[in-house]
Amino acid sequence: MANDREVLREIWEGKLPVSFQLNSEEVIDLQSPEPYYLMVPRLSYFPIVTDKVRKHFLRYIHQDKQDAEMWLDYNGLALKWHYPIGLLYDLNKADIELPWAVTVHFDKFPESEILHCSNREVVEMHFMSCLKEADVLKHRSLVVSSMQRKDHNQLWLGLQNDKFDQFWAVNRKLMEMGPTSDESFKYIPFRCYHGERPVRQKLVKPVTEDGRRKTLQHFLEEVYPTEHEKVRVVIHGVEPPRETPLQWMSEHLSYPDNFLHLCIFIDETSAT
Amino acid sequence: MGDEQPTIQQQDSQEISKESDTTGETDLNSENSVDGPAVQKASENSVDSAAVQKTKIDVLLKATGNAPIMKQKKWTIDPDKKIAGIIEFVKKYLKFEPQESLFLYVNQAFAPAPDQTVRNLYNCYGTDGKLILHYCKSQAWG
Repeated sequence: MANDREVLREIWEGKLPVSFQLNSEEVIDLQSPEPYYLMVPRLSYFPIVTDKVRKHFLRYIHQDKQDAEMWLDYNGLALKWHYPIGLLYDLNKADIELPWAVTVHFDKFPESEILHCSNREVVEMHFMSCLKEADVLKHRSLVVSSMQRKDHNQLWLGLQNDKFDQFWAVNRKLMEMGPTSDESFKYIPFRCYHGERPVRQKLVKPVTEDGRRKTLQHFLEEVYPTEHEKVRVVIHGVEPPRETPLQWMSEHLSYPDNFLHLCIFIDETSAT
Repeated sequence: MGDEQPTIQQQDSQEISKESDTTGETDLNSENSVDGPAVQKASENSVDSAAVQKTKIDVLLKATGNAPIMKQKKWTIDPDKKIAGIIEFVKKYLKFEPQESLFLYVNQAFAPAPDQTVRNLYNCYGTDGKLILHYCKSQAWG
């Protein structure tokens, strides 16, 4: 169970300043709108925090587009709403200056690049699905399925309303070793994001075959067998040391959906 | 999403023909498959590409709840295919009306994201050399 509570809180409180600007081609008003500034939680999702952004820009766009689905891009790249905000930032961080300038669109939805998100329930469904998948990996689904509907709601509301205590009162159960009373999770829920390559996800145990705790180093050797020496891992804006125990990472550095979303950067210049 | 995409059989044959294509192009079009078009890429330009599965994956599609049964249940699918593409395919195969929805589940426990790949799901949840996906017309385990 996650014990380093200060770490959990620090990560929960991570926020990013974002400047939302309406795509200039969609402005029909004589006056262009001011950007809309928000401090957004790294652990949240854009559709949860952008209601006010939508309201702010609606009167500057065409009448026909008032009910259109809003979407965002950074530097011409559509932002995937189903990735946590902190992950989107870390993936693009190399060339972002703060406040992060995000462009708001109501027109020309990029069907082939991002998923639709008509309302918050879609985000909730996605979030709960990830959480359930994580529990399949950690505890063969035993913990999440033993929870009541109100516990599921509490997790979602805790995230949605940015309430650390509300969220962790339930999430701690998902971070316990579970009914099998093992010393660790069965598998570590993670996804590796690396530029344009497909997202990588596989089964990785937190302990070696002879029962030793695996570290981030072990993890990279397993997931990037030929490239691990050149790999840099970033999560929540930091590079965890290679000797960090994998089980500890899963308990403390996972996003609220209980996955470790790891940004992978490979230094192509250094020799292997 | 994707009203005019080809059937999976056509995509399959495209994928087969493209499997020998090792132009080393970057995988930009992997994102396109949210919309369904056949995809072939994988990081040919990387040292790691040898480790990338190229062979197709056996997928068993099982009806649950009130969903109609598919005559053919077992399909071989390109590992880079995304869940969105499979949903579109099943809807087309079962001649769904455009407004009808279809949900896919893994392990009868969770609904994978539409942009999740068959490869990742097989690597994590495949059993006996195949990936079993349950489909239904309303939310089941979600």
